[in-house]
Amino acid sequence: MDDQLLQTIIIGLSNGLIYALVALGYTLVYGILQLINFAHGDVFMLGSMIALTLLMMLGVTPGMDVTTTIALIVVVLLVTMAITALLNVSIERIAYRPLRNAPRLAPLISAIGMSFILQNVGLLWKGPASLGFGDVIPNTNVLTTIFGFDTAVELSLKQVFVAVVTIPLLLVLMGFVGKTRQGKAMRATAQDPDTAGLMGIDVNRTIAITFVIAGALAGAAGLVQILYNNTTVWNLGFRFGLNSFTSAVLGGIGNLQGAVLGGIVLGFINAFSDRYLSAQWTNAIVFGVLIAVLVFRPTGLLGQQVADRA
Amino acid sequence: MSSSLINPVHVESTGGLSVWVRGIGATITGWPAAYRAALAKNRRRTILLTVLVATVLLYPLIYTAIPSGLTRILPLPSSPVIVFMLIFAIMAIGLNVVIGFAGLLDLGYVAFYALGAYTAAFLASPHWGGVSVVLFSNVPAGFPGIHLPFMFIILVAAAVAALFGALLGAPTLRLRGDYLAIVTLGFGEIVPIFFKNLVNVNFSFGPIQLVNANLTGGPLGINPIDAPGLFGIKFGVINGFAPVYLGMGLVLIAIVIARNLERSRMGRAWMAIREDEIAAEMMGVNTVRTKLLAFALGAAFAGVAGALQASYQGATTSDFFMFSTSILVVIMIILGGIGNIWGVIVGAVFVQYVDKTLLSWAGQRMADIGNATGLEQFGDINPSSFSFLLLGIALVVMMRFRPEGFIPSRQRAAEMHVAPPGQAIGSIGLIEEEGLVPELDPTEPGGDEDPEIAEVPGEEPVGETIAESRGEVTDEEQPR
Amino acid sequence: MTVAGTTAQGPTPLTGHVPDDQILVRARQVTKRFGGLVAVNAVDFDIPRGSIVSLIGPNGAGKTTFFNMITGAYVPTSGEISFDGHAIVTTKGSKVRSLKPHQVTALGIGRTFQNIRLFSTMSALDNVLVGQHVHLRSRWWDAVLRTPRNSLEEEASVARAHELLAFVGLDERPHAWARNLPYGDQRRLEIARALATSPKLLLLDEPTAGMNASETRDLTDFIRRLRSELGLTVLLIEHDMRVVMGISDRVTVLDYGEVLAEGSPAEVRANPRVIEAYLGRGAAEEA
Repeated sequence: MDDQLLQTIIIGLSNGLIYALVALGYTLVYGILQLINFAHGDVFMLGSMIALTLLMMLGVTPGMDVTTTIALIVVVLLVTMAITALLNVSIERIAYRPLRNAPRLAPLISAIGMSFILQNVGLLWKGPASLGFGDVIPNTNVLTTIFGFDTAVELSLKQVFVAVVTIPLLLVLMGFVGKTRQGKAMRATAQDPDTAGLMGIDVNRTIAITFVIAGALAGAAGLVQILYNNTTVWNLGFRFGLNSFTSAVLGGIGNLQGAVLGGIVLGFINAFSDRYLSAQWTNAIVFGVLIAVLVFRPTGLLGQQVADRA
Repeated sequence: MSSSLINPVHVESTGGLSVWVRGIGATITGWPAAYRAALAKNRRRTILLTVLVATVLLYPLIYTAIPSGLTRILPLPSSPVIVFMLIFAIMAIGLNVVIGFAGLLDLGYVAFYALGAYTAAFLASPHWGGVSVVLFSNVPAGFPGIHLPFMFIILVAAAVAALFGALLGAPTLRLRGDYLAIVTLGFGEIVPIFFKNLVNVNFSFGPIQLVNANLTGGPLGINPIDAPGLFGIKFGVINGFAPVYLGMGLVLIAIVIARNLERSRMGRAWMAIREDEIAAEMMGVNTVRTKLLAFALGAAFAGVAGALQASYQGATTSDFFMFSTSILVVIMIILGGIGNIWGVIVGAVFVQYVDKTLLSWAGQRMADIGNATGLEQFGDINPSSFSFLLLGIALVVMMRFRPEGFIPSRQRAAEMHVAPPGQAIGSIGLIEEEGLVPELDPTEPGGDEDPEIAEVPGEEPVGETIAESRGEVTDEEQPR
Repeated sequence: MTVAGTTAQGPTPLTGHVPDDQILVRARQVTKRFGGLVAVNAVDFDIPRGSIVSLIGPNGAGKTTFFNMITGAYVPTSGEISFDGHAIVTTKGSKVRSLKPHQVTALGIGRTFQNIRLFSTMSALDNVLVGQHVHLRSRWWDAVLRTPRNSLEEEASVARAHELLAFVGLDERPHAWARNLPYGDQRRLEIARALATSPKLLLLDEPTAGMNASETRDLTDFIRRLRSELGLTVLLIEHDMRVVMGISDRVTVLDYGEVLAEGSPAEVRANPRVIEAYLGRGAAEEA
């Protein structure tokens, strides 16, 4: 396989996993509320800013010794996830819960408003320019240094890190939703909230837990974004949100496996477009994919698990 | 009763052009009488409105007469701001046709705005340097590029936008509400990207060959664009307050068109679709085509606004057209009053005012306070960077407490507090339970008098309410 | 072709009695499956011009589903339906094609709904005007430019709307919002709206639901007037047996999606299978 192709695949997979994490948030919330949470991408953006701030506060810098670095990263990961989880559930309380019985237009508009608010918070907090952060995880090529291959292809330690963080989270989430009681409650509420309520499920609490989970995932993705892509900016949420939402739709909105699959596919699309076409067209292509999926196969690749409660 | 009651109405010969012209003439010459009638009916309101209209018309003159010291205390909008208020008013009226009349959520309205602007850029600038087409224009003959008169460009822009509206709508209008919103959002992003990137086009198809063609000017855009010109007068950004009157004229035309549509067969069809699409289809409304028409006609307004904006400013670039502009227009409609032509105009004026005048004025006053008191923090606060925040808060708060906006149409206000179709009967109970505004739900709206401005009817419902009459009904007749 | 539906006494065939061009609706082997559930099973059904036909049967028998297929709201799984010489539903092999509801309305079928579906925040007058939509000739540019065609048509259609409201007894408050009208008036408004579509065939879905005895009588008389004064053919879904027996020329009984019996009201009422379907085997044996 051609080196450039392999490299593009690696890059695509890495970013794709991050998209997948955020896409899960979109799909979880849509599944349970039939709401496109416009603000979710911006929660991810704030997560990345929070992670950045924490890393700087704790003095994490490139070149520190391995154990300290790992320990501090774990701490930052957990704290960031907690904060974004709290943020997300507050958003639900303020902007979506009061509109539970309103016409569908209302929570959608409210979500857009929330997105604007969060973007402005990011803008006011960290300014209009994008922020950088050094390579705390060294960019060493695992293939040459650890495996001793003689190749031009780079599989960076950073990319391994992405996989190490995202894949377990994805698996834990699937397990949670698929196997635990609370997960079952979530699936039941997504299918039919009224009946779920009659069966004794606390619908409000289930929805809140869904938002907690989605928020936490966005926070984790934010940390990965900082440590892998080394940058954040106040309108990061828009582009990322677009890619993640498209991932969710592509995979089948409401479908968890679909969100992951979609995320990876979107990662590939972005990487291939950037490399073989031109970065300036990438956004248009992603939007094109989104429109095409919605028009030609709205149930997505893996189909919709939630009944269509139009 | 004759059996002809069942037959559809049939209008024979309609008299042609002369009848039409005479009809329009009668409407125009009839306005003094109409004004007197309005005066008789509600003297205070009519006079108030007259004063308001006069102030608006004379504002540019008033503005220039105000001493500069006063502008420090009063945040008054300048000419360019007013022109933009009018440009956005045209867009708000257009988007109101889509969202307010037909109930379709379009989040990518900026695409049509951009199409209109670039239409003006293509048809009234030196951009196509290889040719020279100068018709009815102020530009000297032989000047490079295409230069067509402004009024013509407006029509072309409207047509182009409408065409793209139809193209976008055809495959997508059958999607459910939130999916439609996302698709339109996507379209709203893709179009500016195309305008930004078509700078180096290599394309050959049969006899057509493009090599390194700069089609759209890319991120630098296209300039200069001819200023609008009518009867020798120019209405560009450098021409003082003349453009304000051009804008007002176009807004007036937009209002007339929107109103005529609202009260027509189409307008009723849109309302019916909004209420209960399936029932509308069963009553003979071709819902697909009707929705498509709303989309295309709504887009046309944005095309006109874009052409006006590009001509007025004399330049256009793709960076000007962002997702936030689409949302800005949506906010104008939501704040101002969904479904109500006057409401959305007020919304457009208000949002533009806050965005362009009020915030920067506040920033300057902050700086003044900072300088006066020695507290530097005041000078550092820049209210203009809060605009997204304020708009976002406005959206969230409005959705929570008054989703129909401040001056909505009565139908939309009622709908916003009503259960979905098929449950229409229970709706009154819903309103009373929630303690929401019952006076927006009149039983006797009084026919054709100006329904745009929501008024408070004083009458109580005549006859039984639905709940009461239902109480009488028994089920004893049912055999099961 | 005979009309299907066997009973102990045998069906009352239409063909042979009624010439083909007097059949307004012809439905053959119409079937509707929803996944594994067969809602309507190979139903043959004819409606003669100018008749009042009732479609009755226990709840869930498939009556409204059948209505929906005639009007194009549902596409049958298979079968053929024609109306007034025009094909509404055709089946070629496994491909079923159906007209869209608004096209069916344009051909001349109007309907009311089981649960009232008026345009609730539109006035009674506007509701009736929407009914006229399909036959009005003004287009959007006529409206924008205020052409004479537009003004004259608006005038004429408003006048006709008032007449239709008066015909159903609703001209008192033409500008009242539909949802503010009392229940009985809402039912009448729905009929006025359906009449506005200039139908040849009117489908009424449980028109007397929720009505007391005197209202029911009024409605029954009204349905007769629809035929005698307006020349309409009427197809009713009804549960009120007095209405069914009182005004129907023919009655068709559906049960589990199949035609159980068909014939004159007297024939159907005496049919033991019908009695069994409604009241149980014991009652049938007693009959």
